[in-house]
Amino acid sequence: MRSQLFVTILSIFLPLFSAAAEPPRVVATTSIVADLVRNVGGDLVQLTSLMGPGIDPHLYRATPSDLEALRSADLILYSGLHLEGKMQDIFDKLSRSKNVAAVTSNLPREQLRTPPEFEGNFDPHVWFDVQLWSQCAAVVRDKLSELLPSAHSTFQQRHDEYVSRLIKLHQDIKQRIQTIPAARRLLITAHDAFGYFGRAYGLEVVGLQGISTATEYGLRDVSRVVDIIVSSKVPAIFVESSVSRKFVTAIQEGVAARGHSVVVGGELYSDALGAEGSGADNYIGTIEHNVRVIVEALS
Amino acid sequence: MSDATWIIATGALAGISCALVGTFLVLRRLSMLGDAISHSVLAGLVSGFLLTGSRSLPIMFIGAIAVGILTAFITNLLHERGKLQQDASIGITFTWLFALGVILISAFAGQVDLDQDCVLFGEIAFTPLDTVMFGNTDIGPRAFWTLLLVLSVNLLTIGAGYRQLKVCSFDPTLARSLGVKVTFWHYVLMTLVSLTTVAAFEAVGSILVVALLVVPANAAFLLTHRLGNMLAIASLIAVIASFSGYHLAVHFDASISAGMALSAGLLLALSLFVPRGLRS
Repeated sequence: MRSQLFVTILSIFLPLFSAAAEPPRVVATTSIVADLVRNVGGDLVQLTSLMGPGIDPHLYRATPSDLEALRSADLILYSGLHLEGKMQDIFDKLSRSKNVAAVTSNLPREQLRTPPEFEGNFDPHVWFDVQLWSQCAAVVRDKLSELLPSAHSTFQQRHDEYVSRLIKLHQDIKQRIQTIPAARRLLITAHDAFGYFGRAYGLEVVGLQGISTATEYGLRDVSRVVDIIVSSKVPAIFVESSVSRKFVTAIQEGVAARGHSVVVGGELYSDALGAEGSGADNYIGTIEHNVRVIVEALS
Repeated sequence: MSDATWIIATGALAGISCALVGTFLVLRRLSMLGDAISHSVLAGLVSGFLLTGSRSLPIMFIGAIAVGILTAFITNLLHERGKLQQDASIGITFTWLFALGVILISAFAGQVDLDQDCVLFGEIAFTPLDTVMFGNTDIGPRAFWTLLLVLSVNLLTIGAGYRQLKVCSFDPTLARSLGVKVTFWHYVLMTLVSLTTVAAFEAVGSILVVALLVVPANAAFLLTHRLGNMLAIASLIAVIASFSGYHLAVHFDASISAGMALSAGLLLALSLFVPRGLRS
């Protein structure tokens, strides 16, 4: 009788204990958001990233295990500002029954880039302004603290440490970009993901394609870029890991025809982190890689 | 119902809707019209955005359906007036409309993310997460109910115009001599095609829809040449493809739409080996 009672009591409390032992499940959409969660949450959360390294959000295809991950998640964190496209509808619906948040949701709207003729359609690539991205860590800290109130001070501490690393990185990038001769501070890339980067660190950004990877470049775009290269004598242009290289050839031929030359300055990461072991498998490494490539090629 | 059941049911509804209109497309040698619409809708999405400044779903939907019908209209014009081949007419029309969409983006909306994948095409794996509320009860995926509505419209229209659609598909000249309004029924069918494909794109994604429009109907065409049987067999193949494709995708933890499209193709391959004696 007594042992039966003991078993009954145990069976009531055991799920509570095992729930406490299991770290909460957090799902992040892109590898860049996942990295932010990893830095604030660390081993206190069980993190799943839907889009692996090198996956362009436009080319992402969901699998049954992704659905399972979203279903069983205790918290879903996404980038936002329409980066995830149609998945936004799903996040809106899920937020009725689950903890769902965009890490960019706390950014002041006046700090976001928006085309003047279509106000409110913000450029989602905010992580290229390191100072702006560091503000997003606060959303992660707050959401994780709601989930695990007992670990609030740990999240706070990790958040503060990480943000101070990011602020240091931000200052460092500013200085390194200043070492490039002023006339050559020109970043010519395929996909218009670097608007925030240019604005934050004082580079003029020229993109061949529009903001979406699906838009194709036009002939006028090619000749406009060739004109810019020839008149500014900028020595290098850049391609990104998630965008095709074919436009580069068109530019190089155009420049060569006018008696100049331009090299490919190296590959920049845009919408995804690098593969594991590449040194760019975390956010700081990715940004440092991009800055190193840009400074070396333009100096 | 479980997630798996909802996904299979949604896939089956998309499959039957596509198989029904797909059957008429096969008979009219317009199988690739769905693929064409998957590209040409870009022009509709961009126009909708430029007119309203919004990327919201209803606007994208209306723009896409309008351009879907326009695709069918221009294709028909090139074929009837220009006497060009059907496949050539389709190729000319959709590349032209897609290019128009690209030009419109470059000219007016270069800073806004506006491609089909981003604003229109859905993901069948996530349909169970996007549910609708009826009062206070969750009645299941929005995609399921949208496609159920589309299937009902298809069944009612095909049911009401069965005789006319049949004679127009097999012998337009005979149909004209019998006093059937061939052009009217052509556009009834094309409106169904546009509505079905756009709704299905939004619910389950583009590759799957293109496959479901083409493959089950052609597999059925291998097995029978009677319209009624063909509609039934194509629908059945679409349902089997949805069920087996889902399990295939779970087994490999791969894209569910790819699993269903692959299954449909395997079923078509099987129909090649059905002995002639069993065909009707």
